[in-house]
Amino acid sequence: MPNIAVHIEQSGGAAKKVAWQMTAEARRLVDRTGGEVWAVVLGDAAAAAEAGRHGAHRVFAAGGDAFARYDAETWTRALAAFVAARRPDLLLVGATATGKDFAPRLAARLDAACVSDCVGLDFDGGFRLRRPIFAGKCYAEVAVDSPVAVAGVRPNAFPFFAGGGADAPVEEFDPGLGGFAPHAAVVETITSAEKKIELTEAEVIVSGGRGLKEAGNYKLIETLAATMGAAAGASRAIVDAGWVPHSHQVGQTGKTVSPKLYVAVGISGAIQHLAGMSSSKCIVAINKDPNAPIFKAADYGIAADLFEVVPALDAAIRALD
Amino acid sequence: MKIAVCVKQVPDSETRITLAAPGPELDRSGFTRVLNPYDAFAVEEAVRIKERLGADCEITAVTIGPDRAVETLKKDCLAVGCDRAIRVNEPALENAEPLQTAKVLAAVLRRGSYDLILTGKQAIDDDSAQVGPMLAELLDCSQATVVTKLELGEGVFTATCEIEGGAAIVRGSLPAVITCQKGLNEPRLPSLPNIMKAGMKPQETLTCADLGLEIPVARTRITTYSPPPPRAACRMVAADDPAAAARELARLLRDEAKAI
Repeated sequence: MPNIAVHIEQSGGAAKKVAWQMTAEARRLVDRTGGEVWAVVLGDAAAAAEAGRHGAHRVFAAGGDAFARYDAETWTRALAAFVAARRPDLLLVGATATGKDFAPRLAARLDAACVSDCVGLDFDGGFRLRRPIFAGKCYAEVAVDSPVAVAGVRPNAFPFFAGGGADAPVEEFDPGLGGFAPHAAVVETITSAEKKIELTEAEVIVSGGRGLKEAGNYKLIETLAATMGAAAGASRAIVDAGWVPHSHQVGQTGKTVSPKLYVAVGISGAIQHLAGMSSSKCIVAINKDPNAPIFKAADYGIAADLFEVVPALDAAIRALD
Repeated sequence: MKIAVCVKQVPDSETRITLAAPGPELDRSGFTRVLNPYDAFAVEEAVRIKERLGADCEITAVTIGPDRAVETLKKDCLAVGCDRAIRVNEPALENAEPLQTAKVLAAVLRRGSYDLILTGKQAIDDDSAQVGPMLAELLDCSQATVVTKLELGEGVFTATCEIEGGAAIVRGSLPAVITCQKGLNEPRLPSLPNIMKAGMKPQETLTCADLGLEIPVARTRITTYSPPPPRAACRMVAADDPAAAARELARLLRDEAKAI
């Protein structure tokens, strides 16, 4: 009967979506196998009260000034102290910038199995974790062989808890930091000037490629993305051409995304791009060339001039409401 | 200043994975192998630091890999400005998990007192993004991951790290492990004369036994490789009239795919 601990990452006083998604998936698993789900909250206790409703059986919280600003070493030590005290079988960490920063460090400290970017979670006497490798060209099922394992969970891989969980008791734990000073820490956080939706967290993504012909036409993508409440992505070709910053790049050397809807505009579908987006639930391709490889990866396609289709699609989506 | 750059040879991003059905092995025979693209930013950053500091700086490229990895060390590291190379050649570490890799690299790095350890933010084959932070823990030093800008001071560093919707500025003491992201710099290409000369630079090949290390035990095991879930054939929307096509697409996305 596995006990699964879940790190509840918070940002601006609220838990990240992925924290509740993985709490829910852990609950669905232990409802089959037995065992419990333990939410672990560091710093701001705001999220602790909510954890039960998202499927946690118990909540463990550690507060204090040490958590006022993030650093990998403090998070590593606090969670290692939690693992030593409570001995969960698995610790889930969101595959966010912060989670990816400290989870491997924590695994090294625990000398534990570490599996990144999981999209599937199962247990048959031991954990079986499913994850994409080669940016999604292939999936690996991973068995772990250590008393505790650390697993990163990709945002949007799992649905939220629908079971109407009860309030869970909150217990304090000692993070064992007594006077610890990290070698490095975040001293400042800079938010992009434009309020943009982050690609890896977006439910809808509209991406543009070479078919846009010139940098100025990327605004077509941004306009459609704004209409759809979507994040704006890009192919490697137009990032390398300097039309848009690298933070927009989707693909094997950019971001790997799996939104509910991915709209590829003027993107031919190079293998390294397909790798980064082919796990999207629904894919739409708009491209002049009916033989473009992107159509092989898509669910819906329009083989026509994007300069005519994209404004028309923008208008058609507005007209739906 | 002593800089170590940890690099990995990986299948290039155009590689197709041929896997008809789930199975315990992956056919890696046809792969074209290159320097991991993110490691190229680490190599370039090291060389730029050396260009600023002059002779007071030495760059060591470190890898774990079989004989074919020598080409990557020579062409992509030594020929662009690294001073020496260390390769751990240990057949048991072929396809090692990140924790095994980090333990072996840490053993190599403990033999020199490096001020700065640079590596890519992740390797594009297993996509784990684990080795950098693991190294920092094993060496008990600072870390900054997914870095797009790096500044060095006297015994300290300031790094700009890419995070959701912006950047985090991380400041800390050296030594530090920095994992490099696209945008940090533009890697240079090696010139032919420099590739020829690279062979003259010192290269050391070690085994775990040479490092006084037992081959680390794997904590994870890939039991099955499987192809991505199959996708139904693309439904093409008639495109004679773009406006009508767009309306039909919007309707399909709402009513059929329930995606908007």
